[in-house]
Amino acid sequence: MEKSLIYVYCILESPAKSSKTIEFNGLNSMMIDDFQVVFKSVCLNEFSEENFKRNLSDLLWIETNAREHVEVIKWLMEENSVIPFKFGTIYYSENTLRKFIEDYSDSLKENFSEISGKEEWAVKIYCDRKSLSEQIDELSEEAAELEKQIMASSPGRGFLLKRKKNEFVETEMTRICNKFGQEYYDEFRKLSTAKYLNNLLPKDYTGREDSMILNASFLVNKNMVNDFMNKGDILMKRDSNSGFSIEINGPWPAFSFISIKENSNAE
Amino acid sequence: MPNNVIDQSKDITILEVLDRVLNKGVILTGDIVISVADIDLVYLGVKLMLSSVETMEKLKSGQSLTENYPNN
Repeated sequence: MEKSLIYVYCILESPAKSSKTIEFNGLNSMMIDDFQVVFKSVCLNEFSEENFKRNLSDLLWIETNAREHVEVIKWLMEENSVIPFKFGTIYYSENTLRKFIEDYSDSLKENFSEISGKEEWAVKIYCDRKSLSEQIDELSEEAAELEKQIMASSPGRGFLLKRKKNEFVETEMTRICNKFGQEYYDEFRKLSTAKYLNNLLPKDYTGREDSMILNASFLVNKNMVNDFMNKGDILMKRDSNSGFSIEINGPWPAFSFISIKENSNAE
Repeated sequence: MPNNVIDQSKDITILEVLDRVLNKGVILTGDIVISVADIDLVYLGVKLMLSSVETMEKLKSGQSLTENYPNN
């Protein structure tokens, strides 16, 4: 029989509440310590160290497999607390997998207590600077004051003041974006139990005309998810005219909130 | 629930997926695991792919990159 490897998706808190039958479509599970580990056997052709790294240069292969990784975990989190593993975490044997689980069992339990009953939600805030610049007099007293001076000036002085205002508006828009970004972050943070800031993605990656000003993940109690959504709706209604937009997506497994530490007594 | 703000996990772009599954979760524990250098290469591949207008259009519309791929 061809040798296979163990590809781990996630760990479920035991006893699993799931009414789902995990063992299908190549998925399998085993009890290790107090955890139910969900895995599949994968072949060396695809997942040996060398072949796996080669496949990583094939974006379509990655997309198919990364999406499957997430979908399996999402499906399991419908009824269970789940600790998700990074995509492509592979063990040579049940023994090495067992050793990992046993060495890190305390930390895994701590993680379960942190994420139990919660979901990860992603929040991205964008700002269209053109729309913002059109509203700048409403949002900035200094800009409004400059505009007043321009209107009251002779054409020559007005021209100079206009140039001054244009320079000021660029800086002012950055300040306003930072202020709004911070406010959104604080509002969503109040409705969550943990937060994680991701890097801002440039337009090359987002394919959007507006600029990303916040890219964050929040861990939200399931019973607070509606409030979390409503907050997004309220902020959007308030600020969309000023060029801000919000993208919220989820629920995700708590990928951003897993932190594993080795047991202090592990060898 | 407001549809304009919320994307209920359908039409998630590959970037959003990769951002989570490559960098987060239980990491550095397997016998084989993707290294930081490997992740950089994956993103380089993504960047090259995104330089294609067609890919960007797909991402904007939330489509999977693999949909309608000629070699599939």
